[in-house]
Amino acid sequence: MLALLFILFAGIAIGSAIAVVAQRNPLYSAISLIGVFISLACLYVMLAAPFLAAVQVIVYAGAIMVLVVFVIMLLNVEQEERRTRLSFLVPAAVGLAALLIAEVTFILYWVQVSPVTPAGNVSDTGLTASIGTGLFTTYLLPFEITSILLLMAIVGAMTLARRTAELPPGARVVPGAQVLALNIIDPTVPLDDTTAIEAHTTVEVAKILGIPDDHDPARRD
Amino acid sequence: MTPELSWYLAVSAVLFTIGVAGVVIKRNVIAMFMCIELMLNAVNLTFVAFASFFQDVTGQLFVFIVMTVAAAEAAVGLGIIIAIFRNRETLDVDEASILKL
Repeated sequence: MLALLFILFAGIAIGSAIAVVAQRNPLYSAISLIGVFISLACLYVMLAAPFLAAVQVIVYAGAIMVLVVFVIMLLNVEQEERRTRLSFLVPAAVGLAALLIAEVTFILYWVQVSPVTPAGNVSDTGLTASIGTGLFTTYLLPFEITSILLLMAIVGAMTLARRTAELPPGARVVPGAQVLALNIIDPTVPLDDTTAIEAHTTVEVAKILGIPDDHDPARRD
Repeated sequence: MTPELSWYLAVSAVLFTIGVAGVVIKRNVIAMFMCIELMLNAVNLTFVAFASFFQDVTGQLFVFIVMTVAAAEAAVGLGIIIAIFRNRETLDVDEASILKL
């Protein structure tokens, strides 16, 4: 019975994973990836880890994939077109993949050392209480480092996704200290003049270029 | 017949290999990103399998931290993807072959 369930979920996971790679439309890849996540959550339940199964569905299939799908929709990605560059490497790739599969099969066939699970599964391993105990006693430092990592990720994402003022295509913009070619301001200067003007904030750049300020609170709806 | 540890390890190895193949094959940045998530999940399955068979909660704590790192990676990675798209109007990694935005 357990073996049948394992084969079912593992089959769904591997099939969906192949679909992730095989699909040309990124949105279909994202939907297949959600299938992988949910079948992995089922495998976690079989491995007596109900807390991680719930977190897998909530964090991965919920939060992360919603973010990915949102970005795919936002950028309106077109389908990947087929290209023939480097196609002479396909036979080599097939050969190397066969070699890798042979090696893995060899290891799994010959190494038969498997730990024996204690009879009568009464351990509380995997329950929320045991995870919380471990997280807040022995592994407190990694837990705190993780919170700092999340803080840095928030700051980094905000910095990366911030929209600067609309600049003409000739402008050279460096985040932080923004440098503009002089001929943007003065059209009489020849194009190859390397003189540049420095502006330190987006608001300054907008003022130099004569762009209306987006951040004016009076214009906000 | 109950599933053994090696079964889970085999599934994990297959998923990881598919993820590596996806990163190598795909040219779309978002598709490569999803293949990286696939590899992270394959490793998570190994952690949970070992934790379950050795009755040790440490492996599950590692999975918890890996999930947090994956969430942070998703936030920053998608920010980078949006920045690339805004500058180049494409998501093809071959087009973004220099680090300069």
